Amino acid sequence: MISLGAKVCLLGDYAVGKTSLVRRFVYNMFEDKYLSTIGVKVSRKVVAVPRDDDVVELTLMLWDLAGSEEFDRIRASYLRGAAGALIVCDLTQRSTLDSIHEYAHQMSEVNPRATLVLAANKCDLVEQRVVQEDEISAIAAELKAPCYLTSAKMGVAVEEAFRHLGRLAVGQ
Amino acid sequence: MLDREPSPPEEPCTGAQVVLRDRRIAYAVTDRNLRVQQVNGALQVLQSDAGSWLGKSLLELVPELFGSEDALKDILAGALPRLEIPWVNRDGDGGKTSYLTLVDLPCKDATGAIIGLIHVMHDVTEGGVLEQRLMQHRNDLRLLEKAQREQNAQLLAANIELRRLDEAKSTFVSLAAHELRTPLASITGYVEMLLDGDAGLLNGAQTEYLYTIDASAQRLLRITRDLLDVARIESGRLQLSLQTANLRDLLVEVAVEQRPQLEARSQQIHLTAADDIPPALVDPQRTIQVVSNLISNASKYAPAGTTITVNLLEAGDEPGFLRVAVTDEGDGVPPEDQSLLFRPFFRGTSAQITGMPGTGLGLYIAKSLVELHGGRISLESRPGVGATFAATFPMAVGAP
Repeated sequence: MISLGAKVCLLGDYAVGKTSLVRRFVYNMFEDKYLSTIGVKVSRKVVAVPRDDDVVELTLMLWDLAGSEEFDRIRASYLRGAAGALIVCDLTQRSTLDSIHEYAHQMSEVNPRATLVLAANKCDLVEQRVVQEDEISAIAAELKAPCYLTSAKMGVAVEEAFRHLGRLAVGQ
Repeated sequence: MLDREPSPPEEPCTGAQVVLRDRRIAYAVTDRNLRVQQVNGALQVLQSDAGSWLGKSLLELVPELFGSEDALKDILAGALPRLEIPWVNRDGDGGKTSYLTLVDLPCKDATGAIIGLIHVMHDVTEGGVLEQRLMQHRNDLRLLEKAQREQNAQLLAANIELRRLDEAKSTFVSLAAHELRTPLASITGYVEMLLDGDAGLLNGAQTEYLYTIDASAQRLLRITRDLLDVARIESGRLQLSLQTANLRDLLVEVAVEQRPQLEARSQQIHLTAADDIPPALVDPQRTIQVVSNLISNASKYAPAGTTITVNLLEAGDEPGFLRVAVTDEGDGVPPEDQSLLFRPFFRGTSAQITGMPGTGLGLYIAKSLVELHGGRISLESRPGVGATFAATFPMAVGAP
């Protein structure tokens, strides 16, 4: 079995649930309280990813980046050497869609070959949802990125989104 | 990658050690293969004992350097002066987050040749905790503002829709009332002709039935008039035709008009007014309408055989205004109804119990008309002792 490593970044506005997605994926835990991230928190998870007729042991280095605008200037320095990014938006906050293209642009500026996956988070909050699935699909199509409706709280599609990103990173 | 043997860097002096520990700075020196040769400074920053670092690859020890291999090569090649990763979060003691700033610099020998890297770890937890709290407050505030903006937008949209519906309702009421008036005028006109004998003599039963038809038609006309007034009031289209008038004369006119209704209930009206009442600046027809509504209301809810008193005097607590007070000898208005009585379509408890006919518009129209004059309407009532409805109207300019 081949062992590989890939750095993937989580990008998205503040409070969309980036840290919660990492916690769910790495530790299978969820904390309801919102805690702003400053800077970067690096977590690691090893996953088995199929490639051709083989299976790759992929160590995902997950870079959970601050979403606040105060970190816009230094965010690019965190993106160095990333194989891909999970761009996260919040289905209950329409404004979090506005900056998806900007995050994708930042990523491709630093890493032109980086792959992207779009995660529309908080799909469990059905009553509060203000963004429809077709809107997310349209943005994902523009970015040529697969998209998932995720819920870090309920564990919906979290594993799938990260694994998809891992497969794309291995395929590079 | 390793192309020369590293020469150990110079040991920091004791003073430098003190400064490093005080500033919570630790550093590791590597060879060109990024294997740690030496660690120094505030070693607690390493979060493990120094011995476990020695001989290991920096990339193994510092996960945040993953992905920065090319940048580290550039430093070793002299192509990049430094690599900095600020605000690195680490899990500290007791689940608390600690914050580090990581800096990688070239390590040079005495000849200036790059022999490895100096990896500096600066523990900035103290500032990081404050920065995090600040960011937390800012983001919480932003979320609140965002929620507030969205709520305001929803309220605005709901308000616009309510206004649209209200306008549609007023338009409908106005149109319906207009459309009803024409056939009602026709009905009352023909009833009057029949009663006048224009179509021949009537027997007793026919006359009685025609009077019943006429009374009902008149009631419908009053309702349509009230509905039209409400539509005008709510759309702000009701205008007064102000002129100097003797309020006492207007009250007498109302008393005469209302007499048949009062007599039907064996009620009496008692009008009192001082001789020297100054003239008022009012719309006479609208003033008559106000007082008529008040007297009609008093008559409805007072027992048969009682007296309704209409009193005209200067409003002591409102200089420049005259006060018309209509007092009945009824059961009074329950306290829970008093604040609701002037709302459109409100029917008081006693109206509901007795089944007294009415639309609940009379007092609302009276209040609106009084307020258009600049006056105010009030109610004083105690259960079992009757009620006094008072309306104030402005004196004519120059009146004492």
